[in-house]
Amino acid sequence: MGERTRQALPSVLSVLLSLVVCWLLIALSKDADGFTTATAAYLQMLWGGVGDWPRYLEGAAATVLTRPLGEAAMKAALLTFTGLSVAVAFKVGLFNIGAQGQMILGALAAAVVGAHVALPAPLHIPAALLGAALAGGAWAGIAAVLRLYRGVHEVISTIMLNWVALRLVDNWLVVGPLRGVAEAGASITGTAEIHPTAQLPRLLGEVSRLNLGFVLAVLAAVAVWAWLTRTRSGFETRAVGLGDEAARAAGIPVARRAGFAMTLAGALAGLAGAVLVLGTEGRYPGTLGAPYGFDGIAIALIGNNHPLGVGAAALFFGVLRAGGTRMQLLDVHKSFPELIQGLALLFVAGRLIWLAVLRKRNATAPVPAAPPAPAAQVPHA
Amino acid sequence: MLEIIHRLLFATLDAAPALVFAALGAVLSERAGVVAVGMEGMMRTGAFCAAVAALVMPTPLAVGMGMLAGAALAAVHGFLCIRWRSDQVVSGIALNLVALAGGTFLLETHFGPNGTPPIQQLGTWELPGLSSVPVLGALSGHAAPTYLALVLPLLLQAMLTRTPLGLRLRAVGDKPHAVATLGLSVPALRWGAVLGSGLLAGLGGAVLSTTVLDRFEQHTPAGLGFMALAAMVFGRWTPMGAFLAAAFFAFGNALRIGLASSSPALLDLVPQGVLLALPYVLTLLVLTLQGQRNSTPAALGVPYEQESR
Repeated sequence: MGERTRQALPSVLSVLLSLVVCWLLIALSKDADGFTTATAAYLQMLWGGVGDWPRYLEGAAATVLTRPLGEAAMKAALLTFTGLSVAVAFKVGLFNIGAQGQMILGALAAAVVGAHVALPAPLHIPAALLGAALAGGAWAGIAAVLRLYRGVHEVISTIMLNWVALRLVDNWLVVGPLRGVAEAGASITGTAEIHPTAQLPRLLGEVSRLNLGFVLAVLAAVAVWAWLTRTRSGFETRAVGLGDEAARAAGIPVARRAGFAMTLAGALAGLAGAVLVLGTEGRYPGTLGAPYGFDGIAIALIGNNHPLGVGAAALFFGVLRAGGTRMQLLDVHKSFPELIQGLALLFVAGRLIWLAVLRKRNATAPVPAAPPAPAAQVPHA
Repeated sequence: MLEIIHRLLFATLDAAPALVFAALGAVLSERAGVVAVGMEGMMRTGAFCAAVAALVMPTPLAVGMGMLAGAALAAVHGFLCIRWRSDQVVSGIALNLVALAGGTFLLETHFGPNGTPPIQQLGTWELPGLSSVPVLGALSGHAAPTYLALVLPLLLQAMLTRTPLGLRLRAVGDKPHAVATLGLSVPALRWGAVLGSGLLAGLGGAVLSTTVLDRFEQHTPAGLGFMALAAMVFGRWTPMGAFLAAAFFAFGNALRIGLASSSPALLDLVPQGVLLALPYVLTLLVLTLQGQRNSTPAALGVPYEQESR
C-alpha cells in the first residue's frame, strides 16, 4: 500500500461506511420493506445527482440527464470553493471558521458589481468575480491582521466576523439601501437583478443550471494544488503550517505567508458567493440559505486538506446533495445527505482506527508503522 | 433609569446561563488539552433530549437527561480523541454536523418542522426580601440554572486553581508527560474533563429548551456553542473570565433588545441590522484593544502518546 493510498483510503472508507450506516438507518426507520425502500432511495439519490439514466434509456428527453448533472455540478462548485478556502487556511495552521461570512460578502459584492456596473460581458464577469474575491479576501484579511498584529485568535475573530457579515448584509443592506426594485416599482426580496452580461454562461443551454462556475471551481482546485506543491511560496506556506518556529528559523517570512494564506482563503470563499449569485441566483437573495461556508469545513477535512481531495469530496457530496431531494419521493427525510456528510467526517476523524484495521489485514506483509497523521495540523483552535 | 437598568439586568440573567455553562464546559475540556469545537453539537443534543424527556417526565429530571445526552456525545469525542488520538478539530466539527442533521431528522419525523410540543418550563425562584429592592431585585425571580450560573464559575475557578485535581487538570493541558511521570493517568484526567464538558454543554442546551423557550426548535442553539468558544478565548481559558465574557455577550444582546423596544425612534436613526451586529463588533474591538497574551494551554489539540517525547 503506497503512501498516497494510505493517506486517501481512510476518507474513502469513511464515506462508504457512512453510506452503509445511513442506508441501515433508513431501512430501520421504515416499518415494512425497509431495505427495499432504502435501496430505492439511494438509487433515486444517485439518479438525481448524476442524471436519470434509466428513464433516459427508456426514451425520456435528455433533460433528465442534464438537469440533475447541472444541479450536482453547481453544488459541487460551491463546496469546492468553500472547501478550498478552509483547506488553504489549514495549510498555514489557521482555522478559518469564517468562510460563511466571507462568502456572504463575496456574494454581495458580485451582486452589486453585476447589477450596478455596466460593462460588456468579457469584462463584466471578471469584474464581478474580482469584486467578490476582493470582498471575501478583505473580510478574511481583518481576521489575519487581528491575528498577526494583535494576537486575536482567528477562531473567535472569524466567528464574530460571520455574525457581523450576516447581520449587516441580511438585516440591513439587502432589506435597506441595496434592496432591489422590480419593474412595477414594488420592492422585491434581495438586491436588484444582475445584468445579463454578468451572468455566468450556462454550459448546457437553458435546460440545466450547469454553468461556468463549475469550470472555475475545477481550475481553482488545480491552481491551489499547483501553488502549494510547485511554487516556493506554497512550499513556505506549508512549512509555516507544520511548525512556525522552525519555519521562522529557516528564514521564511511567517507573518507574510500566514496573512497571504488567510486572505486567499477569504478570496476563495468570496468566489463561492460570486458563483452562487452570478451562476444561479441572479441577485443576492433575501438570505443565502444553505450554510455552504460551514460545509466547507467538512469538505476540507474529508478531502484531507489536499486541494484535489477537496475537489473530489466536493464533487461526491455535490451529487448527494443534488440527488438528496429526490429521496423525498419515497418519504425519506431530506437531511440524509447532510447526515451522510457528518458521519463520514466522524469516521474520518477515526483515521487511526482505520489505519490499525488496515495494518491488521496486511499483517502477513507488514507495512512500516504508520505515523500518527492527523488530518489537519491545527496547533490550537 | 433604575427601571431600565433593572430590566436589562433581569434580561441578562435570564439569557446568560446557557452560554455560561457551555463556556465553562469549553474551559474544562480545553484546559485539559482537548479542543472543544463540538460544543454546538453537544448543546443541541442536550436541548433536544431535555425537551423530549420533559414530555414524559418532570422538567428538572428532563434537564438531567439533557446533561447525560451531552455527555454521551462527549464520550464519542473522548473515544476518538483520547482512545484513538484522532484530530480533535475534525471530531468536534463532525459531532456538530451529526447533531445538526440527526436532530433535524428526528425532530421533523417525530414532531414536525415547528419544534416539539410545548413543555412545562423550569419553575422560577423568588428570593425573599430581594424582590422589592431596586436594581438588585432583578436577581430574584429566575429559574434555578441562573443561580447555578452565578455560583458555578466561582467553584470551578477555585477547583482549577486551588485543588490538587485542578492543578493536575491544568498540567494535563500543558505538559501531559510531566503528569504521567507522577504516575497519574493522562487519559483518565482527560476523560473526566471531556465528560464534564459534555455535562455542562448538555446543561446549557437543556436550559435553552426549558427556561429560555418552552420547547426545542429547529434552530436551537443557533450558534451559541460557537459563542461559548468565543467567550472561552475571550476569558483566556479561565472559568471567571469565560463567565464574564459570556455575561458580556448576554448583556450586549439584552441591551440591543432593550434599545430597540424602549425607543423605536432609534431604529430610524440606526438600522436594525447595525444594532444586531453591534455586540459582535464590540467584542472584536475589545479583543483588539486588549490584545491576547499567550494563554492557550500548551498541549491543546496535541494527542497524548505515552511513548513520544
